[in-house]
Amino acid sequence: MIVELGHYALVMALAISLLQSVLPVIGARRPDAALMEMAPAAAIASFIFVLLAFAALTVSYVTSDFSVQNVWENSHSLKPLIYKFSGVWGNHEGSMLLWILILVFFSALVALFGGNLPFSLKANVLAVQAWITAAFLFFVLLTSNPFQRLNPAPIEGRDLNPILQDIGLAIHPPLLYLGYVGFSICFSFAVAALIEGRIDAAWARWVRPWTLAAWTALTAGIAMGSYWAYYELGWGGWWFWDPVENASFMPWLAGTALLHSALVMEKREALKIWTVLLAIMTFSLSLLGTFLVRSGVLTSVHAFATDPLRGVFILGILVLFIGGAFSLFALRVQTLSQGGLFAPISREGALVFNNLFLTTATATVLVGTLYPLLLEAVTGAKISVGPPFFNLTFGPLMIPLLLAVPFGPLLAWKRGDLWAVCQRLYFAAGLALLTALAVTYFATGAPVLAALGIAIGIWLIAGAITDIALRSGAGRVAVPIMWQRFKGLPRSAFGSALAHLGLGISVIGIVTVTAFSTEEVTTLKPGETMVSGPFALQFEGLKPNTGPNYTELQGRFIVSRDGNRFATITSAKRIYTARRMPTTEAGILTLGPSQLYVALGDETPDGGTVVRVWWKPWVTFIWIGAVIMSLGGITSLFDRRLRIGAPATRKATAVSAGQET
Amino acid sequence: MMFWVMAAIMTVAATTSLLVPLARRTKLQAAEKEFDAEVYHDQLREIDRDIESGLLTGEEAEYARAEVGRRLIKASKAASRKTVASSPLAGAARYVVIVFLPLMAVAGYLAIGSPGMPSQPLAARIQPPSNENSDIANLVAQAETHLASNPEDGRGWDVLAPVYFSLGRVQDSEIAYRNAIRLLGSTAPRQAGLGQSLFAQTGGIVTADVQAAFQAADDLEPGNPLSSFFLALGMAQEGKLVEARTAFSDLAGRSTPDAPWMPQVRLHLEELDKRIGQGGEEAVPGPDKEQVAAAAQMSDDERREMIGGIVAGLDERLRENPDDLEGWLRLIRSYMVLGEAEQAGDALNRALENFDAGSAGRQALTQAATQFGLAAEKVNQ
Repeated sequence: MIVELGHYALVMALAISLLQSVLPVIGARRPDAALMEMAPAAAIASFIFVLLAFAALTVSYVTSDFSVQNVWENSHSLKPLIYKFSGVWGNHEGSMLLWILILVFFSALVALFGGNLPFSLKANVLAVQAWITAAFLFFVLLTSNPFQRLNPAPIEGRDLNPILQDIGLAIHPPLLYLGYVGFSICFSFAVAALIEGRIDAAWARWVRPWTLAAWTALTAGIAMGSYWAYYELGWGGWWFWDPVENASFMPWLAGTALLHSALVMEKREALKIWTVLLAIMTFSLSLLGTFLVRSGVLTSVHAFATDPLRGVFILGILVLFIGGAFSLFALRVQTLSQGGLFAPISREGALVFNNLFLTTATATVLVGTLYPLLLEAVTGAKISVGPPFFNLTFGPLMIPLLLAVPFGPLLAWKRGDLWAVCQRLYFAAGLALLTALAVTYFATGAPVLAALGIAIGIWLIAGAITDIALRSGAGRVAVPIMWQRFKGLPRSAFGSALAHLGLGISVIGIVTVTAFSTEEVTTLKPGETMVSGPFALQFEGLKPNTGPNYTELQGRFIVSRDGNRFATITSAKRIYTARRMPTTEAGILTLGPSQLYVALGDETPDGGTVVRVWWKPWVTFIWIGAVIMSLGGITSLFDRRLRIGAPATRKATAVSAGQET
Repeated sequence: MMFWVMAAIMTVAATTSLLVPLARRTKLQAAEKEFDAEVYHDQLREIDRDIESGLLTGEEAEYARAEVGRRLIKASKAASRKTVASSPLAGAARYVVIVFLPLMAVAGYLAIGSPGMPSQPLAARIQPPSNENSDIANLVAQAETHLASNPEDGRGWDVLAPVYFSLGRVQDSEIAYRNAIRLLGSTAPRQAGLGQSLFAQTGGIVTADVQAAFQAADDLEPGNPLSSFFLALGMAQEGKLVEARTAFSDLAGRSTPDAPWMPQVRLHLEELDKRIGQGGEEAVPGPDKEQVAAAAQMSDDERREMIGGIVAGLDERLRENPDDLEGWLRLIRSYMVLGEAEQAGDALNRALENFDAGSAGRQALTQAATQFGLAAEKVNQ
């Protein structure tokens, strides 16, 4: 009965969101308070009903109810409990349900915490959210229903794809979707503003927390996905320029641009049109990513053509929302007033520079992702646009952008003095150059690009620190006062500094790993030793082992440096019983920021085993940097200035603000 | 029925949650423009803080203040629409909600749902079924729950073992056969079934285990085609080609030409002829059929002695010819059957010296050791 109640709840959520799509818009036009006030109630109700549906599906997974087709296809009674939970979204239907759950979750958040929004804006935003919700609920119920039943129930399930049986599945998709879907709020704000035909600096302020929240989650989600692929796939790579990865990276690039342009709009009321366009584009790219991943078009254009229902449905949603939003934009763009003016060398100018490069980079990734698909669809030729394309196009685009990052926060609004800023950045630049020289010196023959890349990383880090130091008054006031000021700095200042610092750390990780990692492939017999980087690995042989739903051959290696044995690494080749599917469990030894990565290959007839070993210096910097960037986002999110009171409580906030100062 | 009661409660809750704001005469206390003004006031306060902390100075600060001030004035001048608390339209919307929501939910659900179909979690599905549509899987699940609480019910194991085998659950089938043999005694069909389950797990190799099982079946019912076939196959795999051919042709002679196993037998005979023609070599011979048959006639003590003799012979041969993995496995197994664990452990250690770590032989020996609970000094090194 629980399954069917969940199914019913999902249909009910659709009915509610259909009402929520129409009535509040009418209310905002009239304007009628009762109709507008219905929107938050409906948003919360539809969240509760989707949550009920999701809970029902989860219960089916946990109790191994194979009368639910989706559970039968993707679960197994012997699967460990945590994977029964995470397996709910480890498949097409369940992950679409999670997508919708997060969508209505964000709507409910706007309903609950949108007290500072004008009533009509709030009603319109929630209505636009409901359009998206209704479209995707139709999609799920008609083409990808997770509540499809089987009678009689099969005795045993088909198990979850072994690659997904990992803690990564519990973390990566929810975080990624929080980011992906979180940008729907920015989209809804943009469309709502276009419907009302009124966009000003206040709008940018209201959107900022939502952009920040989505961006933070997306950053963490992509980083988590990258680390998961790194340790699970057994190839030691952390980014493959794979279409699925690009699908999540494009909204991130556009979202980063949005975050920065919204700042200009909030402070100077400039770049209004551009910001609205970016808000629409960012979520459009999220939708495009969903289409690419969910329609099956990536596996093959032909696979898409043989089972077209799902793909065509999402394509329809895509066309409807992107096309609709851009049409509305084209219709309204004439009526939007121009904003403030600024000189090219100014904070605004720097942010425009940032936007220019980020959007160009987004376009590059978009072309690299879509071109092979279009080519296959038109000519039938299958080509793959791999890392060389992206390294040649995306890489050079990033260099000027990264070089410009430290300038931005130090330039004044409206018109800045580049020379003065250069002087302030002497320290950062000097430190960066010194590092470049040092790297070239210590690694004679090391690629010059690597030295430069690391220098850029240091430049970013030192620039971020310089920014905070100057804001605290370094060099101008005494240390105790500096400390006072430091404590008094707005959270968003720390947030942006942290994000830029994290970016620098990631850059250093990427450059170091690309330039200095080593890969060894040999065949080892038990007792034999191989060398990787500064380490020697002695192979102890393979040992069989049995897990809850798999059997594996474990290979143990004793790691020594200069003859001192200090650690062991265990790598394994697993066979998952239900699907008879082999996976490689990489053995990873973390030494400071660096990692030693061991993957087992096939056994050779003479009793040897193919072993791949990578020495990856400073590889963890890539993800540590991303985590710091997310922390920057969270820090900004808790800036008290983002909590603008609603008009009714204005006096109270004015008093409390007075007390603070 | 319960389902529709719950669904009705959900429907009423959803409808009410939408009706409440529609019915309430909400008084919007602030004009729309005041929300904008609030943001600009906040920006002014922020500029003040920046000036105070020295982040903004002089002209820059003045410009910033002036700009936000202009925005504030513009916002307060903006025409404010008059929002009504509740228009007749809201009254109409109430009826829309009351009619549309339940209708859409029920109709939509009826179109795609399976109302009244109960959940069937694993725990519920292995309960005794209340009606006659119990399939084989259900019976197996029932038998399993029964045996879980009555593990000494030999008849249960005996019934379940061939069912497992036909379901492809060969490991479970092996356990079931072993339990049946332990509880009800050894019979030819049980031993042959055990042999088949083991054979299915080895991936087509007649290991010492498989051979022992079929040998036992053959002892109990000499000439049983099943055991004869697998014993002959085992000989062929051990390299005893001539003996294997004799055994296969024996079987062929005893069977009608249309017996189901005959095509396989003919295939093996052809292949053996070919291999013997190429001069295939004989591997280490084990206890021969006469010896084993003789053993069956003896008293327990005599049999022990005779088997002990054969085992000692095998042991001796392996000292001279230590590369014979199959021989070692048989030796270890024999010692275990004779209850001489120490000897078995010793044999295991000697065997391990001949197989490198990581080799297939070492793996097989390690597995055998785990199976018998032997702790060899060299297994884990």
